[in-house]
Amino acid sequence: MGLASLVFWVFAIAAVLGGFGVILFRTPIKNVLSLVLVMLSLAVQFLLLSAQFVFAVQLIVYAGAVMVLFLFVVALLGPSQERAHYRLPWQGFLAAIAVAGFAGFLYSMLKSVPFRQPDPADLSVFGTVQAIGAGLFTSYLYPFELTSIMLLVAAVGAIYLSRREPSAMPPGAAPPPPEVETPEPEPAETRPAGGGRRLSRARQEVKS
Amino acid sequence: MHLALRLASGEIRIGGETLQVSNFLILGAVLFVMGAIGVLIRRNPLVILICIELMLNAVNLTLVAFARQLQNLEGQLFALMTMTVAAAEAVVGLAILVDIFRVRQVDDVDELSDLRG
Repeated sequence: MGLASLVFWVFAIAAVLGGFGVILFRTPIKNVLSLVLVMLSLAVQFLLLSAQFVFAVQLIVYAGAVMVLFLFVVALLGPSQERAHYRLPWQGFLAAIAVAGFAGFLYSMLKSVPFRQPDPADLSVFGTVQAIGAGLFTSYLYPFELTSIMLLVAAVGAIYLSRREPSAMPPGAAPPPPEVETPEPEPAETRPAGGGRRLSRARQEVKS
Repeated sequence: MHLALRLASGEIRIGGETLQVSNFLILGAVLFVMGAIGVLIRRNPLVILICIELMLNAVNLTLVAFARQLQNLEGQLFALMTMTVAAAEAVVGLAILVDIFRVRQVDDVDELSDLRG
């Protein structure tokens, strides 16, 4: 067994073990760390498939940024254990049947997959940053720019969802008046009575 | 049809050694199925998001393996797009999750069956 297949099998087994960890551990922090193991193993597989840039992106974006985000959320939400019983009675059984059928589909499809003769390409530059960039900025420029819009929408949506002030007002309630004290130009006795009451009520709303 | 399938053996050469592409494809399928099992049997919404990430990663492995076998770079570009989508999905999903947890503690996604907060 050569070096390449040794690397493949070692990291394939690591990835599958990590996958078992993801679905079997009961505490979320262990799930996240198992997923980190899966992602590192898959990064090695990408390198084996001569996809250097995808390897780097997998390490930086996935194992770096996304997993840190998951860890932050786990730390924020605190530990939580799952209950042992299902709310839906035969959920595990149904899931096993559905997944077994799906795995059967995948297996039969993979067994009979016809491999096309490869396009003639220069394998010495295959998957480098240069080749990826050339593809990304010429023929795939439009989806690339759309990606930036999607990331912007995601960032704005996340900020909107996680802002501090909850809009817990009942529907139809007036928005609270601004906190700025309006200067009162006239003495109190010449002011119309209704306005004063409205103002004090508004102040009470501000205080409550 | 001049685009008729000229079948190849599905082997790739790595450093003077041949590996079957099917190995990579089966690894991707196994990881995808494990992610699907996790989505179906786990109840914690955070763990369900983690399992979705696992499925997206498995698909990425398949895309990159086919890109290598066909010696066509488009599979890798598609994998990059998938990573971007996965990152955006994780950000928005976790933000929704934190927003839900701010209101109440949720151990089971089945508790989130009503549309009002």
